[in-house]
Amino acid sequence: MAEPKIISFLCNWCSYRGADTAGLARLQYPPNVKIIRVPCSGRVSPELVLRTFREGADGVLVLGCHIGDCHYSTGNHRTAKRLPILIKLLEYTGIEPQRLRVDWVSAAEGQRFATIIREFTETIRALPPFTEAMQWTRD
Amino acid sequence: MDARLTALRQAMTQILPDVAGVIGLKCGPAGSNAPHLFQKERPEELADLALWPKYPVPDTLRLLQKAHPEAKLAIICRGCEERGLVEMAKHTQVNLDNVTMIGLACTPEEATFCRCARPYTVQAQITVGERTAGVPDPVTDDFAAKGQEEKLAFWKEQFLHCIKCYGCRNICPQCFCNVCTLEDEKWVSTGWLPMPLPPMYHLVRAMHMTAKCVACRECEETCPAGIPMAIHYRLIARDVQEMFDYETGASLAEKPPQLLVLAEGEFERTGLPH
Amino acid sequence: MLEYRNVLTICPFCGVGCGLNLQVLDGKVVGVLPAKMHAVSQGGLCVKGWNAHAFIYHQDRLTQPLVRRHGKLVETSWDEALALVANRLSEIKAQFGADSITFLSSAKATNEENYLFQKLARAVIGTNNIDHCARL
Repeated sequence: MAEPKIISFLCNWCSYRGADTAGLARLQYPPNVKIIRVPCSGRVSPELVLRTFREGADGVLVLGCHIGDCHYSTGNHRTAKRLPILIKLLEYTGIEPQRLRVDWVSAAEGQRFATIIREFTETIRALPPFTEAMQWTRD
Repeated sequence: MDARLTALRQAMTQILPDVAGVIGLKCGPAGSNAPHLFQKERPEELADLALWPKYPVPDTLRLLQKAHPEAKLAIICRGCEERGLVEMAKHTQVNLDNVTMIGLACTPEEATFCRCARPYTVQAQITVGERTAGVPDPVTDDFAAKGQEEKLAFWKEQFLHCIKCYGCRNICPQCFCNVCTLEDEKWVSTGWLPMPLPPMYHLVRAMHMTAKCVACRECEETCPAGIPMAIHYRLIARDVQEMFDYETGASLAEKPPQLLVLAEGEFERTGLPH
Repeated sequence: MLEYRNVLTICPFCGVGCGLNLQVLDGKVVGVLPAKMHAVSQGGLCVKGWNAHAFIYHQDRLTQPLVRRHGKLVETSWDEALALVANRLSEIKAQFGADSITFLSSAKATNEENYLFQKLARAVIGTNNIDHCARL
């Protein structure tokens, strides 16, 4: 079975630095995750996540600052308002809701970053490739 | 003869001298009806007042106000239409200061047709018709009970017939954006039928209907393929109620949750790690 | 003067003939609403029907015949345009024969207009080369 393809949106100020911290500490985690740096997790719109799936991602991970620690003060409030609804919408469409994960990682939490990557990769590995279910079938 | 028509005509006759017009539905040729601006210059038109099938009149008000912002107007609106006006007012698309709402209560048959939980107005200054209780929504409930693969198979079967007419967006009383995401090629590709999966148009639309859908069911009614897309919007509305304690169109004072920062307890209710 | 009404009409595009309402605000067509009680459309419309009003005031809409002079399209009168077309068609028919001319019609035209068009093709020019935009 093909390796899962995971795209992760990391906010510049917390989770991306957290990834750096994991790297500096030479922590091991699976290589399936490709990172896209965004200014804030609140920038990650539902359209962006859906398009990421459309382009072939099996899983999408959005990591932001902890609530209260956002560099833009309330940017991650946008994340917390929009993305939970998208997770629900995936469920209502018959797409596994665990394909989209939202979590919070600070710049110092290298270990936590590695753990989340490991966990999420295994979650997605257990699921079929996203494009497999996205085929038109006619009887 | 529907008693509401008589009561409406009375209310309109009283108010017509004071306003530039009353927005309501008028009978047309061949049994049709459509939104119309009844005006005092043509009182004979009141004889052609119609009630059903309904049309989303909030957009008519928005159109009129864009062209004549100072005009005093009245509008006959059902529960869903009042909710639509309230939400539009919150998004500064209509100004309710110069508007008199004539609330029209729906009959039990009309409520069942729309699977409506609140088939009556709550803010309208004048009300016509007897309030009837809200009815359950078995279509949405039955869908919610399906398993994951069943749900996906259901939507694949439905969206196979979508012809991208954009009718659901055009008729929606809440869709007023000048620049619509659904017309942006970055997100919704054009030129393919059936549309490539995942169904970007419908998923993006459902997300944009968060805290906006007023449950008027016009989208389902206008869909030439009979797709029950309101199921998505109504399920999301239930989550909005649960997570953000917000009921679309219920109160002018309540701001939509996406425009505010997280309130007390909301973060815990989103289901995100906390 | 503030005035708003809906006018029930038929979509000008394909042959299905969906009923629709044209929204008229202060004497100008501003949009389309579906006709819920129409036997054919039953409250639905395709994307062309929903935008059936868009061409009326479109800036690209032709309001005068255009003739090509020195490689550029310039406005001209109906008399000049019709005379040019009639003369050139006669010339081409004389030089290359009637079957060198083909006629392409449109679903937007009425049945009566299409009848006249094929009469022009068959009786006036003398060719059976007539087809329709739906076959493109």
